[in-house]
Parts: sequence; C-alpha cells; structure tokens
Amino acid sequence: MAEMMSPSEFRVALEQAFAGTMAKDASFSRAWATGKLHKQHFVHWATNHYHYIGPFGDYLGLMYANTPDHARDAKDFLLQNMYEEELSDDRHTDLLIRFAEACGGTRAYVQDRNNAMPFAKGMQGWMYYVSGRENFVVSSAALIVGLESQVPSIYRTQYPTLINKYGFSEWEAEFFDLHITSDEIHGERGYQIVLKYADTPELQQRCLHYVREAADMRFAYTKALYQTYVEPDLGPWVEEEEREPALVG
Amino acid sequence: MPRIYFKTVDRYVEFAEGEEVNVLRMAIREDCDVPWQCASGNCGTDRLVVEEGVENLDPPRRRERARLGDLLDDGYRLACQTYTRGDVTFSWDPDQVGLDDEGGDGSGGGSRAGWAGTG
Repeated sequence: MAEMMSPSEFRVALEQAFAGTMAKDASFSRAWATGKLHKQHFVHWATNHYHYIGPFGDYLGLMYANTPDHARDAKDFLLQNMYEEELSDDRHTDLLIRFAEACGGTRAYVQDRNNAMPFAKGMQGWMYYVSGRENFVVSSAALIVGLESQVPSIYRTQYPTLINKYGFSEWEAEFFDLHITSDEIHGERGYQIVLKYADTPELQQRCLHYVREAADMRFAYTKALYQTYVEPDLGPWVEEEEREPALVG
Repeated sequence: MPRIYFKTVDRYVEFAEGEEVNVLRMAIREDCDVPWQCASGNCGTDRLVVEEGVENLDPPRRRERARLGDLLDDGYRLACQTYTRGDVTFSWDPDQVGLDDEGGDGSGGGSRAGWAGTG
C-alpha cells in the first residue's frame, strides 16, 4: 500500500509521471518545430485542437461544480481560468480560428465536428468524463497538471518557428504566445491545488494515475495528427537530430 | 545555480543552470507575494522593476509591450510575461493594483486596445 508523500516528494512524482510522454516530443510536434509542415497541416491541427480544447470552459465548469465550498481557493482558480478562456480578452477559440484562417481555413470548417479525427473526439470525451465524474483534485491533476501545464513546453518550441520559419505575424500566431505565458501560471496553480488537496495516499496515487493517463492521451492524439494528415505527404516521421528513440512518436 | 532575488520580500529563488523560467510562476511556486491577477498580460498588476540582471531576461513580448508602453523604458516588466535565464533582481510596490484600476499610465489602455488596427 502506498504511503503519504510529502508535498515536495509528490511534486517530483507528478513531474515524473508525464516526463516520458510529453506531447512536445510526439512526431507532429517535432515536425512542426523543425519547420516541416505545410499550412494545410496547420488547418487540420487547428480543427482538431478546436474540438479538443474548445469546451475547456465546460470542463472547468464541471470541475467547479464538483469542488466543495471549503476549497474556495480551488473554486476561485477554476472560475478565473474559465473567465480567461472565454471573456477576459479575445476568446481563446477565436484566436485559434484566427490562426486557422491565416493558414487558409475557415471558421465553418474548423467548427464542423465532422472534420475532427476520432482521436480528437476521444480527447474531448475523456475530458468530459474526468471533469464530470472524478474528485476535483483528481480532475485538476489530469486536466491542469497533466495537460495544461505541458502547453508552455510545446509552444515555446513551436511559436518561434511559426514566426521565423513559417512566416506568420505575431497577430496571426497570438493564440500560441498567449498560452506560453498564461498556462505557466495556470499550470503552477494546478500543482498547488493538487499538492494541497490530495490529502490521502489514495488520492495522491489516483492523481498520479490520471496525470500519466492525460499525458498518454495527449501524446497519442498528437502522434495521430502526424499519421493522419502529414504522413501521406511526408512519409513516416524520422527524427533528424540526436534524440532518444523512445520519445519519438 | 542562477537565482531570482525578489528584493521587496527579501527572498531568493534558485533554478537549474541552463533553464529559462517564468518569473511569476517561480514567485507563485515559492510564495514570494508578487501581486498578480490575470496571468495574461492584461491587468499589469504584476509589474516589477528590474533592478539588476536585465541582460538575462527575454525581450518583452507583444502583449507586454502593449500593456506597459513607456513603463518598459522606466525599467518595468510584467512578471507573467517575463522569462529569465540568469541572475536577476526585482522590486515592486506591495500595494500596487492593476494599471487600469489606478487610472492607467496613459500608455495604451490594455493589450486589447493596444492591438487595435494591427495584423
């Protein structure tokens, strides 16, 4: 039976839980970061990403309803996260569509669920399931630590390539720049909530399980983007730089 | 090991050599009481004065340029928008609020307004 970990031990365990399956290392992310993709690939990416993260406010709303009143700081964080997704500035999904339009896509195409891969619908369903059915600290571990906290590591590699290699303007690529910084903070607050409220060994282990599962889900989804949309054009992904083969999707 | 000195609360936060770290994330992680609100570069609540180590910071991002305007020239940065790769020292007014909440600085009225007409 697992023993209760200290906050510092638990944090290290959470960070290690997704260390080997981070989406930044999946084939689609690597092809993106090394300048191999075409604009049409980005339209497909944006379309699938829309159906994966478009309902993020819904997921957070379900988590909010599942969070007890005594965890007021966690409720407030979820509410603020929702507000930032939808209302504080440009709606985040509108920034995503702006990028798709800069690649030649249309709002109608992106929003049409029929244009998303089954993997994207699977991500969406998994997130509805976890946010609606799990203890709030477990869903925070899954969605905030396992998924949202990965975002800066992905986009900090991809954003400079969008500007310098693919030739997008900062305006067109604002979706990425915004999330590099905002998800640093959301991710950190997610860690704090999980460290504070996972107050039994069972909850800690369940959080670790869902962080692993979240990372596996996102890695598989990102790998599927390459296989579905890029591989027919460029062939199987072959990493050019020295990397650990196990990390390559 | 490089470190961030949060001078106003007299706290040092170390990070691994070779890493670039977000300043607000480190402040939150180590409970350094940097005031903040939105984490998106909109409110300006987390503006800090760079006292030393400006050469270790990444260049201001577009949202930060739009939000701070002339305050950038006065040595301010937004903690949420700033990454450092080496030693740096920050100070701030512990009671500061968002730039719009105190009437603004006259530099553009927030990132959304700052973006108007671009792109």
